[in-house]
This record gives sequence, structure tokens and C-alpha cells, in this order.
Amino acid sequence: MIQFLAETAWLVPLYPVVGMVLSLPWSPGIIRRTGPRPAGYVNLLTTALGLLHGVLAFPAVWHQEPTYLYFPWLEVAGLNLTIPIELSALTIGATIVITGLNLLAQVYAIGYLEMDWGWARFFAFLALFEAGMCALVLCNSLFFSYILLEILTLGTYLLVGFWLNQSLVVTGARDAFLTKRVGDLFLLMGVLSLYPLAGTWDFSQLGEWAKTAELAPATATLLGLALIAGPMGKCAQFPLHLWLDEAMEGPAPSTILRNSVVVATGAWILIRLEPVLALSPVALTTMIAIGSITAIGGSLISIAQIDIKRSLSYTVSAYMGLIFIAVGTHHIAAALLLVLSHALAQALLTMSAGSIMLNTITQDLTQMGGLWSRRPISGLSFLVGVVGLIGLPPLGGFWALLKLADGLWESRPWLLVVLLIVNGLTAFSMMREFGLIFAGQTTPMTVRSPENIWLITLPMTVLMGLTLHLPLVLQVAGLLPSWASLDKNVALLLLSSSSMGCLAGALVYVVQIVSTPVRLPVPAIQNLFANDVYTPQLYRSTIVFGVASLSRLANWVDRFVIDGVVNLVGFVSLVSGEALRYSTSGQGQFYLFTITFASIAIALITGWTLISQSFPIL
Amino acid sequence: MLSLLIWVPVAGAIAVGFAPVPPRLLKLTSLIISGIVLLLTLWLVGQFDASDPAFQLQEYFAWLPSLGLNYDLAIDGLSLPMVVLNSFLTWIAIYSSNEKTERARLLYALMLLVGGGVAGAFLAHNLLLFFLFYEVELIPFYLLISIWGGENRGYAATKFLLYTALSGALIVAAFLGLIWFTDASSFTYESLAGQSLSLSLQLVLLVTLLIGFGIKVPLFPLHTWLPDTYVAASTPVAILLGGVLAKLGTYGLLRFGLGLFPDAWMFLAPGLATWGTISVLYGAIVAIAQKDIKRMVAYSSIGHMGYILLGAASLTALSVVGSVAQMVAHGLILATLFHLVGIVETKVGTRELDVLNGLMNPIRGLPLVSALLVLGGMASAGIPGLVGFIAEFMVFQGSYSIFPWQTLFCVVGSGLTAVYFVILLNRTCFGKLDNAIAYFPKVEWRERVPALMLVISIVFLGIQPTWLVRWSEATTTQMVAAMPDTSQPLALQTFTQEIFAPRISLGMQPEPLPRS
Repeated sequence: MIQFLAETAWLVPLYPVVGMVLSLPWSPGIIRRTGPRPAGYVNLLTTALGLLHGVLAFPAVWHQEPTYLYFPWLEVAGLNLTIPIELSALTIGATIVITGLNLLAQVYAIGYLEMDWGWARFFAFLALFEAGMCALVLCNSLFFSYILLEILTLGTYLLVGFWLNQSLVVTGARDAFLTKRVGDLFLLMGVLSLYPLAGTWDFSQLGEWAKTAELAPATATLLGLALIAGPMGKCAQFPLHLWLDEAMEGPAPSTILRNSVVVATGAWILIRLEPVLALSPVALTTMIAIGSITAIGGSLISIAQIDIKRSLSYTVSAYMGLIFIAVGTHHIAAALLLVLSHALAQALLTMSAGSIMLNTITQDLTQMGGLWSRRPISGLSFLVGVVGLIGLPPLGGFWALLKLADGLWESRPWLLVVLLIVNGLTAFSMMREFGLIFAGQTTPMTVRSPENIWLITLPMTVLMGLTLHLPLVLQVAGLLPSWASLDKNVALLLLSSSSMGCLAGALVYVVQIVSTPVRLPVPAIQNLFANDVYTPQLYRSTIVFGVASLSRLANWVDRFVIDGVVNLVGFVSLVSGEALRYSTSGQGQFYLFTITFASIAIALITGWTLISQSFPIL
Repeated sequence: MLSLLIWVPVAGAIAVGFAPVPPRLLKLTSLIISGIVLLLTLWLVGQFDASDPAFQLQEYFAWLPSLGLNYDLAIDGLSLPMVVLNSFLTWIAIYSSNEKTERARLLYALMLLVGGGVAGAFLAHNLLLFFLFYEVELIPFYLLISIWGGENRGYAATKFLLYTALSGALIVAAFLGLIWFTDASSFTYESLAGQSLSLSLQLVLLVTLLIGFGIKVPLFPLHTWLPDTYVAASTPVAILLGGVLAKLGTYGLLRFGLGLFPDAWMFLAPGLATWGTISVLYGAIVAIAQKDIKRMVAYSSIGHMGYILLGAASLTALSVVGSVAQMVAHGLILATLFHLVGIVETKVGTRELDVLNGLMNPIRGLPLVSALLVLGGMASAGIPGLVGFIAEFMVFQGSYSIFPWQTLFCVVGSGLTAVYFVILLNRTCFGKLDNAIAYFPKVEWRERVPALMLVISIVFLGIQPTWLVRWSEATTTQMVAAMPDTSQPLALQTFTQEIFAPRISLGMQPEPLPRS
């Protein structure tokens, strides 16, 4: 039975697809009697089935070699596109994480969007994401991964734009779509150029090919850079990072999924492509540089945000930057571990933040405070999320960061410094957020803010439990280092950076030894980070300005130069042939009549020969 | 059999036009006639042997042998998808027409006539016959635009007429030149396909033909009739114009340009690929600046036709089959978009981007129309899972090894497509609906049906692209195989490649995609 479930684990992405299709009838105007809610329940059921399937199948693949299944899709003109599915502990484990988090997010959404009208749409999009991500982790081909990433880009557009009558939501959706699309198109260029070189898109075969491939440095560099660009967009890396910040305008339940696993799709592709990227030192260096810039910049921006969700979103970018560093330095296991620990902790933080937002009716951190006594469960969840995220033992984040730090200690000490700084800054930022929400005096917005209904609190608590138990899971899976092999120096460094960050954050924002809001001595720096390093202005003055001016210019040329010449020719011939005035009614009809008459005459003449030939008597 | 596809609609047109059909039954009658044609087409698909690259189901009838003009029909993998597209879109266009229009009798007669004529052009196996059918479209379309068109219809119809007449003149000149110089006995396709003209003569004729068909496609800078015409035409006419008629141009390029002048085509290929790329970029960039959604969709059409030229110029089995797929994909997508834009215009009363807002609103907006518009726009922008992607991808993958830079720029063009569709969708579907003006007439189910059918076919072919390419693969592969061998160190070809195609050397020489 378990074997059967393992062999059919490729069905996992299909459950949410079924749920998506089944929720269609509850779109506006089809089924009215029941209201939109059944759409949510249907999707909850299909997600639960997907999770169950994965969990039951997992023992069969544990400690086994990966098995591969092939589904033919398209074979045309020598191009053979077969969908390869990889069933292994890693891929099925990833589907469990995705379906599990989505199940929690869906329960959360039932509570969170209680009064919303777009249930069918919302749950269908969540299901689209679940299906796309599950298919992505199971699929062993770069080409099909690209397809899925593009579909998820469309999904992001629709899901961010869920509350479509708010203007910030609309621009956020637009920017998310276009930014990701830029990355995707570079990825497509990479996909196109990789095939003639490698002759395959299967990740495993690409790995084999990369071992022996000898590419010209320029080719390898261009290829590597194109392949990195896709994950850069997905992981919200500089300079394609702004969309994640703007996407925070979307509903919180979708943010849970986005902050934890959707951004990690890019990291996943990066990890799978690592052997190919390793062909180009320039690509690896670029990855490390981009990752470092985003990690440090993201954590600094996060500290300067006053929006509860945007502050979280920049820590997501920062952690994805760490993953870029990890892949760039060939620390695949550390990268995967970081993806996992970050996903759980970040989902928990987002759930807690969402649960605060819902009842305080604001996302503005400056209007919050004093919630610890009123919202102990949310507060505890937030704290557990913080500890799970940063390098504080014994939770997951510590072990993931430690594994990365351990590797960097040997090879690239200065990247270890980056890691420690990012970790410390994130710790500070998270404690700042915790302090601003939960510590201090109550404000008018937080005076009446009880815990939410169980639909919100329960998934949050369950996720808190999962985050707390992650080290145990890692222990069972043999992913924790033994005490003997532990590099105590690195561990101490990591621990001290986390504690210093936490301590500083706690002193400033929880104990409030300085008066808040904190003003830096140089307001320019504070404004720089509070305004997202002026990225919107940067976009507007470069690429947006460029495309807009070019299109206006081209339109002008089209209208007045190209069409102008045509019209001039027409005008001249009209003037010279005064008789042809098509536009005046009587003559226009006469003209038509002439054409019709002439064509009928020609038809008759030619037709006559035809008829006379076939009937010689005529 | 093939004749039925031509003469059933023509007979239907005569019946609708002259028989005493009551006005309220006109649309139904036309629908039944074009429905019969559609069924006949499907039956034809059943008869068609997809593994045979040659012309099939030939019908021959000596007409004017002295002129070399014979009634000679045949179908192969290149024309079959076009014929199916034509039958389907004609039915859709008739379905989406408004029967309460003035002179409905003439409208339906003309639409049926056009359907039969276009089928004739795709089926013609004789160059002159093709030309006759090609020219025959001109008058019905002129009338369709100038009688039932919107604003500026007189100007647009005249422009269309003049441009297309010029296109026809150039095409017939090329055909006549071909027969004069080759001493062929008739205009039959095969008798001309094996000709061996000198390269310079081929070049002259091919360039004439390219401009002729380039107007029809249209390609930059021969396109200026298109935005005016598409915008002025009513929805069903725009569907026929953009969905079917423009395909006559690309079909002509492949069938007559590539098929009859292989040496010259090879010679010009780098230029053609660049031309296609320029069209892609130009169409997309100008579309971004448009303020009228119908005009935006019209410009998108220019961009998408460029991919077809790129694929045809690259001359790999994959890129050419991709071009044929792109013709079908573009026809379906453009028809969807025009239909939906037409609904928006009739219900909301405007096509202005700056006025439209929030149509996704589930209570007072047009939620289903908006949802379908999102799908249509995304299909056009090349999002995978929809038919536009796989067609473009085949063109890209097939062309990359031959013309890498052009292909990469086309990828950029596909990104720009996403830009203007996001602008369109953001302004039209998203945003806040103004409650003061949101008293739109209800969208009837019969108005949604065509869009639903089109979107279903877009999604189906996107998920199951085998159904899109299996018909034409044998024929296009053979077309590519019939081209002069590139590996021969012809002095001319080496010259060409050095001049026009500075292939970027990608280190390890790519393993060339199989050409057969």
C-alpha cells in the first residue's frame, strides 16, 4: 500500500488542481444559494488529501535511491519533451512541507477572510500555487520548471491583485508580475541556450553533463547569469526585490505561503542548477555578490520599515540572499536546510503578524504596542518564529545557519562576517518588531485587541509546535551535527551575533532605554532605508522611463512618419485624381457598385469558360 | 470533398442573400451553414493522413489550360490547420455578430462568402487560383468594414482596399514573373516548385512576393493599414481579419516564398529573421503607448506575426512547425481578444484605457469577461499552459541555434508583450469600479459562448500541444528537408553568413538540431 502510494506520489500536484477546478462553480454568479464558502472547504479537503498522500508515501522513499517516472508530453521535429518526475525523500518531503503549510494557510484564510466575497478565487489561486510548487519540486526538468515558474508568476499577479479595487494592490500586482517576468525571460534565454549545449534539460543529466562540459568562459558566464536571473526575480534579490515589498498589500493568508515557500521556488531552481552554474566562476561570484548585497541591504531596510508585513518581507529577501551565498559557495545541504527552517519560521511570523493586523485594524507598527498581555499566544508565536529564524539554539535556524557558517569558515571567512552581520541585524529587526507590537504602552488601536477565533489561532499554534519540533525532526533525519564534529568557535560566533542583535533590539524596543520612535543622528540614512533605498524612484527613472519614452516615440513615428508618408501618398493621388472621392456618399456607392459589377462580370466570363468546358453542348 | 468547403459557404451566401429567409432566421441559417462547414472540416481532418507530407485529397478540373489556370485543390499539413482555423473562426465570427444590425442579410452573405473564399485560397493548388481567391476577399471585406465599421470606417476601408490591392498586384507580378522565366506550362504548384532560376531572378521575385505578403501579414513598415482597419471593423469582422485573413499572408510566405524560392529564401534568411524581430519589437513597443484597447490588441497582432517570420527564416524543422503553430495560436488568441474587447465596448460604451476601470467587480462589473480577458491577454503574452507559449517556444528553440541574437530579441519582445497586457488588464479589469457609471447591460450567455469556446481551445492546445503540431509536422519537416543543403560549402552561403549572420560563437559548437 505504502509502495503504491509512493509510486503514485506524482498525483500530489493534481489534488489541488482538482480543488481549483471544483471551486469554479462558486465564482460570482453561478452558485448563489450556498454563498462562496464551499469553495474553501473543497480546497481544504483536496489539500488535506495531498498532504496525507505525501505523508503516507514518505516512509517508502526514505533512505531510498530516487526513482524516476516519465510522462511523454510533446514530441515534435526532433524535440522530445518528456516530463520527468523524481520521487525521492527530498522531493516528497518538500511536497509535505508545501501541502502542510498550505493546509494551515487555508484554515487560517477561512478565519481571516471570513467576510470576504472572493473565496472561490482566493482558494483557487492558493490551490494553483500549491499545485505549481508541488509539481516544481517533483519535476526533474529545467524546461518544465520554467513552465511552472511562469505559471506561478501569473498566479502571483492574480493573488497579489486579489483585493483588486485598491490602487496600491493593483500597482503591487503589476510590479510583482513584471519584475518576476523580467527574471523569467532571462531564465527562458538560459533555457533556450542550454539545450543546444547540453542536449538535455533534465537536472540529473545536466549535472552529469556539467562534470565534463568544457564551455568557453564567455558562454558559461552568459549562460550562468541568465539562469541566475530567474531565481533572482523569484527570491526578490536586488535589483528585482521591490515586488515582494509591494506584494505585502495582498491578503495575509497568501502572504504566509509567499513569504515561506513561494519565494523559495527560486532557491529550489538555483539549488538544482548548481552544477551548471558552477561552470562559471563569474556567475558564482555574481550570485554571492547579489546575495550579500540583498542580505545586508534587506535586513537594514527591514529595520527601518514601519509596516508590520513589509518589515517581515525584507527579512525574507535577506534570507534568500543567504541562500544565494550558500549556493554560490556550493553549500547545497546548508541551503536546503535554510530553506526549510526559514519556511517554517517565516510562515509562523507572518501568521502572528496577520493575526495582530486583523484585530488591530492597522499594519502600522508605530500605532501598536502593549499587546503582550492581550495577545499572549500571538506573542509567543512571534517569539518562537524569531528564535526559529535567527541563529539561536536549539531551533532550526541555528542549525541551518551553523551548517552554512561552518562551511564558510573554511573557505570564505569574509562571507562568514556577512552572515553574522545579517543574522545580527535580523535578530535586531525582529526584536524591534516584537517590541513595537507587544511591549510598551497600549495605543488607541491596541486597546481592544483580543486573540482571534480558533480558525486563526489554531493553525498558528500548530505551526508554532512544528517550528519547535523541527530540531527533533532534523535529529531523526540525521541532519544535526554531532557534538564532537561541532565547530564550537563558529557556533559561539553565531550565537553571540544572534544574542547581541536580540539584546540590542530588546533594549531599544522592549525595555525602551531610548525614547521611540528612534531617530538616527543622520536622518538621510534612516530615510534611505525607510524608502527601500529609493528603489521605486530608481525603477521609475531608468527602466520604466526608458520603455515609456521609447514607446511614445515609436508611437509618434508610427503615426506621423510611417502613416504620414502613406497618407501623403494617398492624399497626393486623391488630389490628382479628383474624381475618386470615396467618402462622399453618392460617389462612394457608385464606386462600390463599379467594383461589384466588374467582379461579377469577371466571374461570369471566367465561369462561363468553366461551364462551357464541362458541358461541351453549350 | 475539398470543394465543399468552398462552395457550401458560397451557396449559403447566395441563399442567405437572395432566398426569402425571414430576417430573424438569418443568423441561425448562417450559423447552420457555417456549422456544416465546420463539421465537414472536422471530417476532413479525419480523412487527412498526418504522416504523409505531400498534398492529399487532390481535386483537379481543367479550367483554362491555355492560361495555366486550373481548378486544382489539394491539402497538406500546412494548409490543414489554416482551413480548420478558418472554419472555426468563421463560425465564431457569425455567432458573435449582432443580428439586429442594419442590412443583416448582406452582412451574413458576405461573411459566408469570405469564409468560402479564404478556404479556397488555403486549398488552392494552383498559383493563379490562389491569387483569384486571395483577391476575391478584397471586396467583401471592403464592404464589411465600410458598412458595419465604427468611427473612421470610410478611411480605414479605403486604406485597406488600396493596400490589399497593391499587395495583390505584387503577388500576381511575382507569380507571372515566375512562370515567364521558368517556361512552366501551368501555375500548378508542383510544376513551379522544382524550378531552377538564377539566384538574382529568384531574389527579385521573392522580394516582390515578400512585400506583397508582407502587407497582408503585416510586417513593419507595411502595417499602417492594420490598426486603422482592425479598430474600425466591427467585432466579427475584426475576428475574421485578424484571425484568418492575416494568416493568408504568412501562409503565402511559407507556401510560395519558402516553397518556390528556396535559394533566395536561404540567401535572405538572416535579413528575414531580423525583419521579423524588428516587427516583434516594434509592434510591442508601439502597443505600450496606445490608449485604446482595441488599438492595443491590433498592434499586438503586428508583434506576434513577427515570430512567424523568424521561425520561417530559421529553417529548422522545429522552427517552421512552430511558425505554423504560431499562426493557429495567434488566430485563436486574437479572435478571443477582439471578441472580449468588443463585449467591453458594447457594455461599457468605451474603449479608452483612461476611462475603463474595475470590470472584475463581481456584482456590477463583467467578472467572467474580465477573467477571460486575463486568460486571453496572458496567452498572448506567452504564459505557459496556454497555446501562445508552446508555439513561441518552438520558434525560439528552433531558431536559437541559427539566429541567436534575433531569437533573444524576440524573447525580449515577448516580455514587452507582457508589459502592455498588464497595462490593459490593470486598467480594464482591476481597479475600483465607479459605482456612478456602473450600470452596464447584462452580458448574455450567448455573448460569452464564443469567448468560452476560444479560451477552452487555447487552454486545451496549451496543455496538449501535440494536437496542434501533429498535422503539420510531416509537411514542414519535408519543406525544410527540401531546402538546399546548408552544409555544402557554397561560396554564396558562406558569403551570406559572414555578412548577415555573425553567429555568436558559443564556445562548444552547438549540436545542430536535426533538420529532418
